[in-house]
Amino acid sequence: MKCENARLDMDSYADGELSAWRRFAVRRHLDACPACAGRVAEARSLQQRIRAEAPRFTAPERLRASVMALSGGPVARAATRPSRDLRWQWIGAGALVGCVLTIVSWVAGTAALDRATETDLASAAVAAHVRAVLADQMIQVASSDQHTVKPWLSSHLDYSPPVQDLADEGFALVGARIETLDGHPVATLVYRYRKHTVDVFVRPDWLRSRMTDPRTIRGFHVLRAEGGGMDWLAVSDASAEAIAPLLRRLSE
Amino acid sequence: MMGQRVSAHGRFEREVMPHLDAAYNLARWLTRDPDDAEDVVQDACLRALRYVESLRGGGGKAWLLTIVRNAFYDWVSRNRPVEIIHDGGEAAEDAVDADAIDPEQAAMRKSDARVLADALASLPLQFREAIVLRELEDMSYRDIARVIDVPVGTVMSRLARGRAMLRRMPSLQPVQEIMATRRQS
Repeated sequence: MKCENARLDMDSYADGELSAWRRFAVRRHLDACPACAGRVAEARSLQQRIRAEAPRFTAPERLRASVMALSGGPVARAATRPSRDLRWQWIGAGALVGCVLTIVSWVAGTAALDRATETDLASAAVAAHVRAVLADQMIQVASSDQHTVKPWLSSHLDYSPPVQDLADEGFALVGARIETLDGHPVATLVYRYRKHTVDVFVRPDWLRSRMTDPRTIRGFHVLRAEGGGMDWLAVSDASAEAIAPLLRRLSE
Repeated sequence: MMGQRVSAHGRFEREVMPHLDAAYNLARWLTRDPDDAEDVVQDACLRALRYVESLRGGGGKAWLLTIVRNAFYDWVSRNRPVEIIHDGGEAAEDAVDADAIDPEQAAMRKSDARVLADALASLPLQFREAIVLRELEDMSYRDIARVIDVPVGTVMSRLARGRAMLRRMPSLQPVQEIMATRRQS
């Protein structure tokens, strides 16, 4: 084998990607040719350096839990998933149990309060949002495609709400569901804004003048708008200023 | 309907969850930002969940990483369109100009364990992704070709070019060599 030919195979040889026959031929050449052998050594040393020094990032537990939630799997199973590292498994499980306990006690603690305030539509919307987040039932139809979401909503409602994906403006449509608010089925568009989830409830001739100002209920911001023949109500833990543009665009 | 949903979730957990670290690692190297990487992986997992039924036996890792990469390119065209246009390699070519770097600074940086990671992160996207898949995810040429949707030959040439760029980076050269280059010029 000549150097010219060997050189073509050098990287593949160092990567262990050659067939047994080519590997044999290259090895014989390397035994006889220090220049090419040096080249392979250089390739190997770079490989080793990359593997040793460039970190292989691992998914944060928070991401793992939210992806599990995304898949609709029970949250607790995320904790019992077999993992290579037992210690992290236990830490993950502990963190999840802690989260679940906090949420459960918070929900139980605020349930009494809810009953008193839920007469109000904004509170009902926040409650619906929280319930969906906790029960992990944010999305009945998962799609960023407005042409998938809109027909689905129309087929489940007696009206057809406008649906827009506004990913370009930072509000990515992730899906939709139907909530019952105030005794009516209400189309609920789910958007992702940075790390936040935004629920947008939309229904024609619905809010009237019952609610005008942005409000904050238990840390969730509630905004309303009218337009496009619909009434719009947005609920999110993102700031009111952050979600205002979304509502403005939708109700244009 | 319910049965289908359950089996999709079951498949998702079996086929996708074991490769979540790989997905995050690729997204992290592509976006070079932990938060953005999480966004990309979330998006990719939503897509994966939708199509997991169409995954036919095995190859879950390459399949998921293909989706992560697509999700990244969608994300980058929305959020950093400039990066794709201007990431044809000029940045790295600039970086390999030995005169552009102060040898003393290079010596200091050399002691820093992050030197190689920084060098890899500074490679143009198409070379960076090939090297990350090869060295950090330990994937075969064939699987890489599948993920980045190019022929195996292209994978080989991108790996070769990416590695050559890394080798020429001043921060990865022994200091004496930089000094020598300087004296010559």
